Amino acid sequence: MIKKVTKVGKSKELMGSIPTVRYTHPEYVFIATVNTRCSKYELFIKEGDYVKCFQKIGMRHGPFFDQPIHSTVSGTFVGLEKHYHRSGKEVEFIKIKNDLKNTSDDSVFERTEAQIASLSRKEAIKIIKDTANVGLGGSSFPSYIKLPIDKKIDTLLVNGIECEPYITADHRLMLEFPNRVINGIRYLMEIFDIKKAYICIKSKYKDIKLVYHELLKGYENIEVKCVKNYYPQGWEIAMIKEALGIEIPSGHLPSEYGIMNFNVSTIVGIYKALRHNMPVVKRNITITGDGIKYPKNFRVVVGTPLSDLIPLCGGYKDENFDKVFIMGGPMMGASVPSDDVIITKTVTSIIVLNKKDYIEEPCVRCGSCVLSCPVGLKPVEIMNAMKAKDRQLVKTLNPLKCIECGLCTYSCTSRINVTDWVRKGKVIAKL
Amino acid sequence: MIFIKESSPHIRRKDSAWQMMLDVIIALLPTFIFSTVIFPLNTLLNFFISAVIMCLAEFIFIGLTHMKPKDMEKHTFKEKFEYAYKGRYQLVNLISPIVTAMIYTLITPSGAPIYSVIVGALIGIILGKLVFGGLGNNIFNPAAVGMVAAKLSFGSNYGKYLALPSWFNSVPNTSMGGTLLGNISSLGYESINNVNFLDMFLGKMPGTLGEVYTVTILLGLIYLIFRKTVDFRILFSYFGTFLIMMIIAGLCINSILPQVKVMHFTLFELLSGGVIFGGVFMFTDPVTSPLTRPSRIMYGMIGGCLTVLIRLFGALPEGVAISLLIANMFTPVLDFPKWSNTKYTYKNIIAMALIFVIPTIIMIISLLFGGVVK
Repeated sequence: MIKKVTKVGKSKELMGSIPTVRYTHPEYVFIATVNTRCSKYELFIKEGDYVKCFQKIGMRHGPFFDQPIHSTVSGTFVGLEKHYHRSGKEVEFIKIKNDLKNTSDDSVFERTEAQIASLSRKEAIKIIKDTANVGLGGSSFPSYIKLPIDKKIDTLLVNGIECEPYITADHRLMLEFPNRVINGIRYLMEIFDIKKAYICIKSKYKDIKLVYHELLKGYENIEVKCVKNYYPQGWEIAMIKEALGIEIPSGHLPSEYGIMNFNVSTIVGIYKALRHNMPVVKRNITITGDGIKYPKNFRVVVGTPLSDLIPLCGGYKDENFDKVFIMGGPMMGASVPSDDVIITKTVTSIIVLNKKDYIEEPCVRCGSCVLSCPVGLKPVEIMNAMKAKDRQLVKTLNPLKCIECGLCTYSCTSRINVTDWVRKGKVIAKL
Repeated sequence: MIFIKESSPHIRRKDSAWQMMLDVIIALLPTFIFSTVIFPLNTLLNFFISAVIMCLAEFIFIGLTHMKPKDMEKHTFKEKFEYAYKGRYQLVNLISPIVTAMIYTLITPSGAPIYSVIVGALIGIILGKLVFGGLGNNIFNPAAVGMVAAKLSFGSNYGKYLALPSWFNSVPNTSMGGTLLGNISSLGYESINNVNFLDMFLGKMPGTLGEVYTVTILLGLIYLIFRKTVDFRILFSYFGTFLIMMIIAGLCINSILPQVKVMHFTLFELLSGGVIFGGVFMFTDPVTSPLTRPSRIMYGMIGGCLTVLIRLFGALPEGVAISLLIANMFTPVLDFPKWSNTKYTYKNIIAMALIFVIPTIIMIISLLFGGVVK
């Protein structure tokens, strides 16, 4: 039907009410040597070495920044093994045998409130850089780059929207660790002289609103802001527009407008870094989808192989159907050709869907993709230009603005994978 | 159990293209059934003939365009057939010609001879749709192309109107020579005062097979809006432009001929001819209308202006089908990537204002000083 599609997929109220299962004792832990932003690495340890929890065991090198690699358990370094990474590629992982003792590294210590308040901006940025805090909502963008040294920041936005269907990891995190979220916000506000902070959640999450309403009674500067239940509301520019009414043109950064925004999980990571000098070693994930018997929320050690978690969910449903195995949300996540995957820092969810074959029909120009596109592109025109191999026209249509939210494919009445064509168009337009 | 790699997104919404076409069929059904009750033989025969022609043409077209490439081996007919049709001939390819045939039937005059219907259907499907590359690629609305082609080819032989059955006709023994709109050009604008508007609303007037039954068309419109199968922007801009321009025209005519009331004139123009049918079922056809929000509004406005101008000044009393075809020609221009924008910018609004103002000024000047109104 010809309409602007704003709601995606099934509701997740049911999943949100399931408490998180803690799984912190995997036999082996696998830590990625490279990720999407850093393609080279070096290791500081040899095979057979004993590593402590939170110990810095290596360094990833990227074109713009370096990132330390931390061990998430204590145990013995066994060797390198190839597994599937979140990006959908096979990469080498550092395999560590867990001794289940969780012996801490010396670098971890407790800072008092006064010590944290007296930290300068530079020191805080250094701590966050050394503990390898990245955007845990899935972007894996290093957090310290977002933190300015001298620029004035007026508002801090905390993104707890989770607009993708099925995922409830952040929802549970916000419910179960509200103090960490609030303290993380408070530390950032103290260090960076931020006047006002908003925790953005979906308006349908009444439980989070109640909890934070009680807990935020002492803090006038932190507020819970409910945004409408739309997709892609979790996209930072849509969130800023909805929460503050400021429209940021594409190509500009929110920090130019005095806005800083972080995902809730990142805030918890920053809290841990500032308070305990700890890197991110645990995270919340959701394992769900119609191919899983009992969907569950988990809090796991980073590096846990998924093969440990699937039996805890009761295994796969309908074993004779082919499955699609998605890391991330069903709209933007990458699918992996195997279930031999490792939960890295930025995996928010594992979704197993029964494979559906969509038969493409000819485009009837209903215009749903044009109406739905959140950045105002014309996906169907880009597709037609790509089919006609008209590079100039593709460039005029400016596909580089695309955020790959997937709404054009989702809304297509002819079941054409328009997003794929726009992705190809982005490659052409860059040339 | 295998894990299959596919590119994101991994979920789709439920609505599909054939559902949209099915919706149009459902929305057309009340009008079609009513037309069948009034003229059973003509409606069913015309529909049957045009549906068979259009479905067959579409079927043959797919076979011709996807012939098996030549190689050394010999292929049986079954292999060739499977190569051409498997995965390509879908439900949509069957439903879409039926929609076209249904609309084409309902805009055919009630007394049109069979040969003209056949010729119109052939021209409509082949020249209106298939030569452009089939479903989704056509520039013109195939039903309108067929109807206009038949009208231009056969002239007065085509535009014959049957007498209404006696149980439906409240004014027996009226002349059934032409439509009420046609009467204006011969009898002048004063003839509007003799018209019974309730009869017009119920469809008790000469016209094509389906376009006169306003009640059933409105039923279909409610269904289409409820299902969001039509874009409300085109509907509003088309009818809005048409009504506002007709009110202005009525004011001009009223200043020359005081016995013509503005409200009567506007209502008469709205209810007569194919404005409501065309606006609801033909202008909103997604394939031939533009893509973005502002250009859809402009498209409806262009259609409305053209309908008014053709009605008031054109040689043909009916203007909807021709104005639709001309508006279809504007679609690629409105969608041209250099200036078409998905958001409402001030340039778009200036363009919309120009689209409305220029024809209105032309209309006012020619009505007041052109000597059209006598």
